[in-house]
Formats: sequence, C-alpha cells, structure tokens
Amino acid sequence: MLSLQHISKYYQVSGLKNYVLNDLSLEVDEGEFISIMGPSGSGKSTLLNVIGMLDDPSDGYHYFAGHAVHQLKEKQRSALYKQYIGFVFQAYHLIDELTVYENIETPLIYQDFKSSERKAMVADILDKFNIVGKKDLFPAQLSGGQQQLVGIARALIAKPKMLLADEPTGNLNSKQGEEIMELFRKLNREDKVTIIQVTHSEKNAEYGTRIINLLDGKIASSKKL
Amino acid sequence: MIKNYLKIAWRNILHNKVYSAINILGLAAGMAVALIIGLWVINEFSYDKFLPNYKQLYQVNLHFTTQREEHTQTALAIPLAEVLRKEIPGIKYVAETDWVGWQYHDLLVGTKKLYVGGGAAHPDFLKIFEYPFVKGSAKDAFKDPYSIILDQATATALFGNADPMNKIIRFDNQQNLKVTGIIKDIPKNATKQFSFLTPFAFKEQTEGWMKSARTTWTNNSFNMYIELQPGVTAEQIAPKIKNLVYQHSVQMRPAKPEVILHAMMDWHLYSDFKMGKPVGGFIDYVRMFSIIGILVLLIACINFMNLSTARSEKRAREVGVRKAIGSQRSDLIAQFLAESVLITFIASLFSIVFVQLALPSFNTVIGSSIAIPFANPLFWIGMLLYVLFTGLLAGSRPAFYLSSFNPVTVLKGTFKVGKAASLPRKVLVVLQFSCSIALIISTVIVYQQIQYAKSRPTGYSSERLMVTDMSGDLANNYDALKNSLISSGVVESVAAASSPVTNIYSHMSLDKWPGKAADEESVNIGAIFVSDNYFKTLGMTLKEGHDFSSKWSDDTTSVILNEAAIKRIGLKDPINKLVTWNGSSGPVRIIGVVKDALMESPFTPVAPAIFSHGRGGNNVMYRLAPNVNTQDAIKKINKIFDTYNPAYPYIYQFVDDEYNHKFNLEVLVGKLAGVFAGLAIFISCLGLFGLAAYVAEQRTKEIGIRKVLGATIANVWLLLSRDFILLVLISCIIASPVAFYFLQGWLQKYDYRISIGPGVFLLSALVAIIITMITISFQAIKAALTNPVKSLRSE
Repeated sequence: MLSLQHISKYYQVSGLKNYVLNDLSLEVDEGEFISIMGPSGSGKSTLLNVIGMLDDPSDGYHYFAGHAVHQLKEKQRSALYKQYIGFVFQAYHLIDELTVYENIETPLIYQDFKSSERKAMVADILDKFNIVGKKDLFPAQLSGGQQQLVGIARALIAKPKMLLADEPTGNLNSKQGEEIMELFRKLNREDKVTIIQVTHSEKNAEYGTRIINLLDGKIASSKKL
Repeated sequence: MIKNYLKIAWRNILHNKVYSAINILGLAAGMAVALIIGLWVINEFSYDKFLPNYKQLYQVNLHFTTQREEHTQTALAIPLAEVLRKEIPGIKYVAETDWVGWQYHDLLVGTKKLYVGGGAAHPDFLKIFEYPFVKGSAKDAFKDPYSIILDQATATALFGNADPMNKIIRFDNQQNLKVTGIIKDIPKNATKQFSFLTPFAFKEQTEGWMKSARTTWTNNSFNMYIELQPGVTAEQIAPKIKNLVYQHSVQMRPAKPEVILHAMMDWHLYSDFKMGKPVGGFIDYVRMFSIIGILVLLIACINFMNLSTARSEKRAREVGVRKAIGSQRSDLIAQFLAESVLITFIASLFSIVFVQLALPSFNTVIGSSIAIPFANPLFWIGMLLYVLFTGLLAGSRPAFYLSSFNPVTVLKGTFKVGKAASLPRKVLVVLQFSCSIALIISTVIVYQQIQYAKSRPTGYSSERLMVTDMSGDLANNYDALKNSLISSGVVESVAAASSPVTNIYSHMSLDKWPGKAADEESVNIGAIFVSDNYFKTLGMTLKEGHDFSSKWSDDTTSVILNEAAIKRIGLKDPINKLVTWNGSSGPVRIIGVVKDALMESPFTPVAPAIFSHGRGGNNVMYRLAPNVNTQDAIKKINKIFDTYNPAYPYIYQFVDDEYNHKFNLEVLVGKLAGVFAGLAIFISCLGLFGLAAYVAEQRTKEIGIRKVLGATIANVWLLLSRDFILLVLISCIIASPVAFYFLQGWLQKYDYRISIGPGVFLLSALVAIIITMITISFQAIKAALTNPVKSLRSE
C-alpha cells in the first residue's frame, strides 16, 4: 500500500547538506502495524511526516495506494490524504475552542459529509470509544488519556486505511498508554487499519507486527514479530 | 461548514475579550466614520433630484470674457427668454424669474406678518419645476397676475388650519394677492428654496423699473430656467444658443457674452465656473471627505490585520491541527474570512448605534437633516455589502498569512513568528499613522487659515453694529426713524445704504478717469449709495478728502472711492479729480478716499468700490450705544421700527454674526477634519495598544532576564517603546510632505492665505509622539513592573 524508494530529506546549512533521511526505502503492506524506533534525531518523526504527506522529501519516490505522491499537486495530495490517512499526535492537538464532539466531527466537515451522516458517524465512534458522556466538554476539561482518546477517535472518524501516530503515549502514564496500545491492536486486527507508530518504548513497540529501527536517517534494522 | 466556522469565531471572540473589544471597537469607530460620511455623501448627491424630469432642467447662465478676467453669472436680461422660446427648437419651456428665494417680501394676513424669501416667476416655471401641489394646480395658479403660491409651512404660519385657498394676502402692504396654490414644502436637499411665488406679470405691472426690462438687453437683473424636450441634450442646444446675446445686443458685445447652460443636477456640487464650464465647487469637499472616510476605515481594517497576525502564534497550532486532519488551505482561508466578517458584522451593529448617537450633533454642525434610512431595504443591502467588503478587506491579510503555516513546524512547537511577518505589520502601522498625522496637520492648517482671515482688519467696526432691511415705509420715514432711534438713547449712530455692511449688492462700471490709456477697459466697481453719517456709523476712516455733507444738493456730483479703486486706476492726488461712471449722467468729482473695508469675502483682496451720496437704499445700519443692555435696546428699537413700518415685522442682524457666516464653510471643514483626525488617531492608538500588549507578552521572558541582570523600569520602557516611536517618526516624515502638497492646493482657493511654516509639522509630530508614548507606556510599564521571578518561573 505504501512504497518509499530512495527517500532523502536534508537541510542546507551553510552549503552543507544536513541529512535527516538518507536514501531510505520502505515497503508497507495493507494490514501491517509498524513501530518505528530509534534515538532522538534519527528521523523517526520526519519519516512519519513524509508518509503522512505533511512534509515533502528532498529526493526519492513515494507511492501510496497506487498514486505517485511525489508527482501529485498540493490539492490532489490533500484529497488522497483526507481519504486514506488519520494522524495521532503526542500532544493530542485538539482544538481548544471546540468540544469533544466538534473536534471529532471536524475532519468529516472537511470531507463534505452531510450533517445527518456526520451525526451518525460521530455518535457511533463516541459510543465505540465510550466517551459519549464527554461529548460536550472542552479539551481543557479532560485528562491526558481522555484527550488522546478523542485524538484517536478524530483520526479514525473518516475511516482511514492508515493511521499514523507520533509517540501517541508519550504524554501518558503507563496504564493509559497500555489502554491506547490495546486499542491500536484491536483496530489493526479487527478493523484492518494499517498503523505506523513512532515510539520510544520497547514495550509499546511490541504491539506492532514489525519493528523498524532508524539510525541517522537510515533503516538500521527491521524485524517481523 | 459555515456554521462550524462561525461557532469557532464566536468562541474565539469570547475567549479573548480584550483583544476582541479592541478589534470590535476599532472597527466600529472606523465603520461609523465611513458610514456617516457615506450618508452625507449620498445626501449631497441627492440634491435637486426630487423633481420629475430633473435631468432635462437647466439654468441659463451668461459667460463674459474681458481683458482682465472671465466670469460666469446667473444674471440675465429678459429679452433672451423670448428668443429662446421662439427661435430655438428643442427647448420645451422657458421661464424668466427674479432671484427666487432671495426676494424678501412682507406677507400680511390680519395681524400676522411674515417677512420671507420668495420670488416672481413666469407661469412656465411651474411646468419646468413640477413642485407637487397640495391645493390648486400648476396650470391655473398664475392665470391672474395678482395671485400667490405658498409652501405648506408658510400657509400654516399665515392661516393656521384654515383653508388658505382664495384667501387674500396683503403683499408689502401695497397689493392684495389671492392664494391660488399650495405646494409641498421644498425638501432640504434642494438648491432652490423659497416660501412663496408670485407671477412674473405681477412684478412687471407693479414695479416701475420693470417697464423697460422686457426690451432691454443690458438689464441683466433676472434669472432664467429652461426645460429641454425629451431626448434633446444640452450639447445639442449649446451651439445654437451660445451667441444669442452677442447677436441681439450691440452694447453687450465688448464683454463677449456667451449663453451657457447649467444642469440642475450640477447646481449643488458643481457651481464653480471656469471658462464657462462648471468645474467644481462643493464636490471638492465631498471628494475630500470621501477620501477621509475611506482612510479612517482603512486605518480600522489595518488594526484588525495587525492584531490578527500578531496573535498568529496563538492560532498557529489550530492551523496545524486542521491541516493535519484534512483541511485545505482554502478551507482555512474561508474560516478566517468568516471570522473577520463575523467580527465586522458585530462592529457594524455598534457603528449603527454610534452613528445614530452622533447624527444629531453632526446635523447641527453641517446644517443638514441626515437620518439613517432604517425603513429602506436598500440601506440594509448596502450595509450587508459594507460588512462583507470591510470584513474581507480586514480579514484578507490575516487569512492568507495564517493559512500559510506549515503544519509540521507548527505542531512540533518550533514555530516562531518570523521577521517576515513583522515587517508588513510595521509598514501598516506607518500607513495608519501617516494618515492620522496628515489629518492632524490638515486640521491645524485649516484653523490657522480661519484665524488668519478672521484676524484680518476689516476696515470697519462690527461691534454692536446692526442691520435691518429698508422695507415698506422705512425709506419714506427714514429721517424720522433716525431721529427717534438717536433720541431713544440706545442707538449712537444711524445710516442707510444700498448694500449691507457685509455684502455689495450692485456693481457698476468706472469708465473714464485721468490718465486712462486708450485701449484700457472700464473697471467693474462695487457701487454703494450711502446716506450721510455712513462712514461714521460703520467706523470707516477717510484717508484723504472729506465726507459727504448733510446737504444732498451739494453732493450730487461727488463720489468717494476706496483705496483699492484708486490703486486700480493708478490715480495720483485723486482729490478733486473728475471721473465718469454709469451711476451718474455726467462726470463726478472725487471728494474723498476711504480706507479699504472688507465687505465681501474675507479671503480675497478688497475690490474697488465707489460710494455715492443717495437717498433711500436697501439697508438701515445702526450702532447700539455702549453700555446698553442689548435685550432692552432691541425691545426699544423694535417699538420704534413698528411705529414707522407697522406692516412689517422687525428683523435685524448683527454685523459680526453676518461676518462670521462668511467662515461657515471653512469652520465646518475645520471641525470635521478635527473630529475625523481625532477618531483616526484614536483608532490607530487602539491598534497600537493591542500591538504593544502583544509585544510585551512576547518579550516577557526577555524582560525578566534583563531585570534580573539589573535593567531599570526606564530601561525596559525604552526597550519596548523605542520601536513604536521610531515608526511614528517615520510616519511624520511621510505625512508632512503629503499634507503640505494637498493643503497648499487647498489654500490656492484663497487669495488671502497663510504660508505653511515648519511649526505645524513639528507640532503635529510632537502631538503624535506624545499620544503614542501615552498609549504604549501603559503596556510597557506594566511589563516592566512584572516580578521577573514570576515570568521566568513560568517557562
């Protein structure tokens, strides 16, 4: 479903190329649950952003769901992104001025769902995540774990094929983190969502089906579980 | 989608109350200024459009070209009317009139007496100007020469609730006129205002001097109006009428008269003529204030832009999140624009309230009756477009700027508002302050010009000096009146003349004088026929020679000239020289030279004037004795006037009031410029206040560190204020030459004008900087007083 070929990402610093990703190639099949690990600065987040089309690589070829992403225009890329990808952040990144319900609903608005459809879909996911009672609260009124739950619900609301998570449990305590990981596993197994997560925790990484270790912008090792 | 945008916008407004208040207040003030100016401009453009066919209506004017000057006048001779009627195809109606509106007459009904302005007009006047009749009809009203038409207000004043039709009005206590029509009161936005109309035939039958007017081409004492046939344009008619006076009148030929048309649509706004074409007039002020309105609105929009982009760090995360969950840039642009339109909408409601509150005083200052047309759907449509326009204008820059953020950097938390954003912000602040400072400079210069002209020596003393029209029996009873006034003790001196102190009604031509060159033209000279004691009563002083004596017979061949006249004809030793003018049959002797007195515009040089001793006159002037109570004196004088002129109400003017009226336009411009300058600087400072708050907030940590390192409050204040003061200084440098250029142009209107010195620019800069310092010091000192421990710990 995803193919990265010879992807590089670098910044020019006083004439020198400072590589964040260096000639990296990666194939991801549908239904995989990949954990990306590596020390700080090894390019984990950048790789995730490139996969999520939030960041452009400097070089290389990027194919996603049969499209050559590196050749697409901003608008087409955005359409592709909206249709296939959901993003979960370490810092949750909910919109403070919107309620739980409205935060989850927002992606649907951008995808032009009708009001009645949106209602049904949001109600459905609130129920599934067991946060119906919190739907009218604002993010500031929730705990970190609850906020991340809303973040994931928002990422999943439009039924993406792929979920990208950048240290989703980084700001959570271990119990909350475990719950989130269980949820990811369930999503991956039951709903066949392809998941790519970046994590520092060995334990969380093992929820995945494959662990990729990055070092200096290159894949140092990759093992299937 | 829109609902979602508005919801967020609304919550954002509530969450940031101070910021929202600054934005809404600033926008509301700016919109109110533009709205009130807009209403005024619409009102100005609505003049003279209340009659059907107004597009086909014209006043006939005459343009002259002499060696020294060219000018256009409305005064025409009657024979032209007949020629236009009979010989020019394409003209539907022609009406000759006197100075409708300016002819004051006494209307008497029983004990009620009114002294009001009206005029005499040919019956076709009512066909040209289809004033709506409440009673009677345009067709029949002027069938009988001894008839009169009134407007509703005058009819009510004379007859109360009784039916005025066919009632008799005693006209100037001499003729009986029958009321044959009542027209609706003329709206305020009409150039031609009058209370009554009589048939032109009545004037011709009852006023002796009119006998030869119908056949005399040189008696230019009348006005004329025409209506063109439908489909006929002024351009088609112009060449046919241009030379009519030239062809018909040999005597008029030296002045090269050209007949021209002045469209009714142009009467109000384009009344200044140059080379026989209406080139400008009040439209200049309409344009000027339109520009000011737009500038003030722009200043308000800039506030919104600057505060929105300054706060962008706070909004950046939201932008990042939205992009990460599938928003396109266009969605975000739409969202931010929706937000600015919502804020503008709220501001517009406030602006309507502001305008409603300000309109009474505005109307008093302007002398208008402007109201917000709440019942007019067009107004609401206009308001809606106004809100959209302002919202999009104010929101465009923030929308495009904010929506451009890269989600990755924003969400990583490494995002900092770059220098790139602060440069345009600085440019916009400079733009704001340049406009505000230019307005301050303008206000100061307008007031300087007014003061300059007001402090000009008038050449007479207006203190306690009063004027009353020489109406009814006053001319016959003049000597008795004068004696009674003097003996009453409240009046110190009395005189009569053919013009009041503040105007010269008639101009004659000075044809011959010693030393006149063969090819030199006659001099157009202001002519005033005066009683004895005239110069003494007005407080004018003779430079040479002597005053008229009280014996009329001695003086029939004597005149007094003013200094300007002597200078104009270049006469040395003028006393006892003989000159010829068309006010006497033979040559007259100059017996005195009087110092120049400012009787016409206070902004032009004194024009040549000739004074001749004559009976009668149009005005009585009298000066109250010093130390009398004005109210009591007026009561006493009123009784004396009633005795000698019982049919007329006693009406008086104080000369200094009349003189001050000459500054009405300038004072108005000065007041408005002052108010708008004040508002502009207020709105600019509101924005600066917000920006200073933002900068102080952004630099909290830096300020904390500096304080720990030993910075004093003054150091911190300087640190935060320096940049803003620099911007205001740059604005001064930009505003000064721009204001200088425009004001220099404005001053060209006036012959008697100030020269603009550097003082006003320095003063305005000083004022702007002081206001700026007060505005930002609040924030700067607040930041400087913050305990550094607090601000550093919060990191």
